[in-house]
Amino acid sequence: MDKWARARRIRQGVQIVFFALFIYLMFATVQQRVAPVLADLFFRLNPLSALGAMLAERTWLPRLALALITIGLTLLFGRVWCGWICPLGSLLEWVSFRKRRKKETSLYPRLRTVKYFLFATILVLAVLGNLTLLALDPLAILTRSMTTVVIPSLNYAITAIEKTLYPLHFLQPALDWLESWLRGPILPIKQPAFAQSILIGLVFVAILGLNALADRFWCRYLCPLGALLGLLAKVSIFRPVIGTACNHCTRCALVCRPGAVEVSPETVSITPSECTVCLDCLASCKKEEIRFQPVFRPAAPQEYDLTRREALGAMGVGLASLLLLRTDLRNRRQNPLLIRPPGVNDENKFLSSCLRCTQCMKICPTTALQPTFDQAGLEGFWTPVLVPRVGYCDYGCTACGQVCPSGAIPRLTLEEKRQEVIGKANVNKSRCLPWASATPCIVCEEMCPTPQKSIRLEEATVLNAEDQPVTVQRPHVLRELCIGCGICENHCPLEGEAAILVAIY
Amino acid sequence: MVAKLHKVSRRRLSRREFLKLGGAATASALLAGCAGQAVSPTDTSIQAPTSLPTSLLETPARAPTQTLNPTLTSSAGTPEESPLPVTPTSANLTYLAVAHGSDPETITKTALAALGGIERFVKSGNNVILKPNICTDYNPPEYASTTNPTVVATLVKLCLGAGARRVRVMDNPFGGTAESAYAISGIAEAVKSAGGEMEVMSPVKYARFDIPQGKDIKSWEFYRDILEADVLINVPIAKHHSLARLTLGGKNMLGVINSANMIHQNLGQRIADLLSRIRPALTVIDAVRILVAHGPTGGSLNDVKQTNTIIASPDIVAADAYGTTLFGLTGADISYVKASAEMGLGTLDLNSIKVEEING
Repeated sequence: MDKWARARRIRQGVQIVFFALFIYLMFATVQQRVAPVLADLFFRLNPLSALGAMLAERTWLPRLALALITIGLTLLFGRVWCGWICPLGSLLEWVSFRKRRKKETSLYPRLRTVKYFLFATILVLAVLGNLTLLALDPLAILTRSMTTVVIPSLNYAITAIEKTLYPLHFLQPALDWLESWLRGPILPIKQPAFAQSILIGLVFVAILGLNALADRFWCRYLCPLGALLGLLAKVSIFRPVIGTACNHCTRCALVCRPGAVEVSPETVSITPSECTVCLDCLASCKKEEIRFQPVFRPAAPQEYDLTRREALGAMGVGLASLLLLRTDLRNRRQNPLLIRPPGVNDENKFLSSCLRCTQCMKICPTTALQPTFDQAGLEGFWTPVLVPRVGYCDYGCTACGQVCPSGAIPRLTLEEKRQEVIGKANVNKSRCLPWASATPCIVCEEMCPTPQKSIRLEEATVLNAEDQPVTVQRPHVLRELCIGCGICENHCPLEGEAAILVAIY
Repeated sequence: MVAKLHKVSRRRLSRREFLKLGGAATASALLAGCAGQAVSPTDTSIQAPTSLPTSLLETPARAPTQTLNPTLTSSAGTPEESPLPVTPTSANLTYLAVAHGSDPETITKTALAALGGIERFVKSGNNVILKPNICTDYNPPEYASTTNPTVVATLVKLCLGAGARRVRVMDNPFGGTAESAYAISGIAEAVKSAGGEMEVMSPVKYARFDIPQGKDIKSWEFYRDILEADVLINVPIAKHHSLARLTLGGKNMLGVINSANMIHQNLGQRIADLLSRIRPALTVIDAVRILVAHGPTGGSLNDVKQTNTIIASPDIVAADAYGTTLFGLTGADISYVKASAEMGLGTLDLNSIKVEEING
């Protein structure tokens, strides 16, 4: 028992280490120019996104081969990913509600089918070339929530507090010191803001809140990655097994967070597909009758495994939703403002390789990349779109392609990326200051990063409100040179909509 | 024993105790905040600089004890006073130094030596800020869109050699993040090895300051440290700009304010207004390489001209006026140089001042 209590400690330590690593990588890659090789480590270990992307693209993606480690681990020891590594799983293990702890009843076990059904639907859609539902991958959920909700809120809070305190002279040295550490490496200079952060935040809070109904509710009933690993765990070699001397004290069932211990009047058993190998039961057993040992036969079927009918149902749902998604009007008439990250030229190919993981939005130094709502149709829900008024594509940056785990955004060298045309700027002459209101302004031309300047100025003398002649320089876009980076639209000094707009054609 | 320790540390605050503590902390923070604000408007030590350094023989550095306050009213300043006490002929010291030569470090040192040495500007214990032009993270220094790193590093070394307590280098790039622009420009590495600090300009440290002498703009948001430093050294690179025609010392000061894009609608006067408040003690124009077209961003080596020159002067207007001659222009051709001269912030007339040209 002591041995297993120690092992459990080690597991908790490992969880903390992986969670800390996840958070570290998050901040290490936010706002950094060159992405560390490790930036997408967790996604490369994730077999769900690897399987989905490879099925949808119908190619072997060597970058995602790291997922084989997770598969191997699962075939050996069961769902260790869920109990030891997954940062969302750890977070859900740490978020526990006092009310919940007093309750012993568990929810209807048939609900566990939902995750298998979801996983099956994702597979069917992936085979058909669609990855929309990968938005429900646990790592994608955590990355997205951190990127669009937690980090911006944190930055806002810290900056606001510091701004409030800064006028107090005696605090300035301390705040200066704090700023010199935080600003740049951890917190961005410009307050990040993301579309739909409220929706994303609500989903995140809901997932945490469901823990009030059952421990690790998400992992038990909903997680599609958990379902995939659960299926593999059915044939895993090492499993916790309850011996014959068990006296039915059911202590193990009480401590089991995913509720993997089945108690019936005759027997107490552990279901490998639901067990997260947390070792709590081994540490709890007074009789030391639970052993972690090799078993060479598949686990017994459960009432919540997918029935043939349900599997067919998942296929039907997948097919039907694909038909609906593909006949959306958005697919017929492309949205002119759907500016994709640099190097993405084929929208359909992009949709069938983007993991919806939000890594690109996390690393974009100008927060130009935003999650879509309906700009790309429902099929492209929560894929990255470049919104120039929010941020521009930095002429000196290639970060998004470096961190994209599936290669949906290609890895480009700086020279290659500078040749990539993501859109074209168009001057709105009815709003532009020199065109419309006899006011000098050349900010768009000044900002233009292309060596020959894609915006040229034409001098004109016009009369102002006092009938005085004013010389203004009116901007023209040379479409042959413009790469659509959007810095002109971003820095246009007009309030509200810019007088120069980037569109994809 | 371990179990006992565990019990002690497990004792939790009750909700009531927690709220009490929190309330007390908030109240004290608020009180402290009110106290700070109540004092500042009557603080007599706060004054806006209303004129150029009183004499070029004296140190142009601001008194280290001086503090600035964003809530300053314009009555604190005395804009009626003659804003130009600079009488170029009164000083025996060189007013403007120009050094030519192929080694950036040597010519920087030569120019400074001709002005009477960095000690004329930087005193022991001073808090010094260098403001180079690091506009984007697009191109390395060979493309002449960012200040030459050797020039910046040489100035850092000179300041530290004169006993400066702290030498910081900063800019607010418009393309890319500050960190990446600092790195690509080569300035980060050069400054660090010279013993200076790179500062990422924090959004926390901007505050609205009055511009008592401003003609078009009466107040703006400035980076506090720039106004509070003992010595501010302006280190622009000379390059092309389509609205201002050239970006030199005056335009380089747009990097220390918020919403710089809103300056462009009356660029000349607005830059002059800002300069009446910022007042760098020394302007060192990097013309080792200059960008003659497609500025301020550049990106083509065809637009870069090697001119191997450093221009230094405590008078930003005179330095800029000399800088324009490298492009075949005069100071009067550049709106902000002209407007600054008209406001009495310096002189355009290069014939009336003592200029020392050195070929090194």
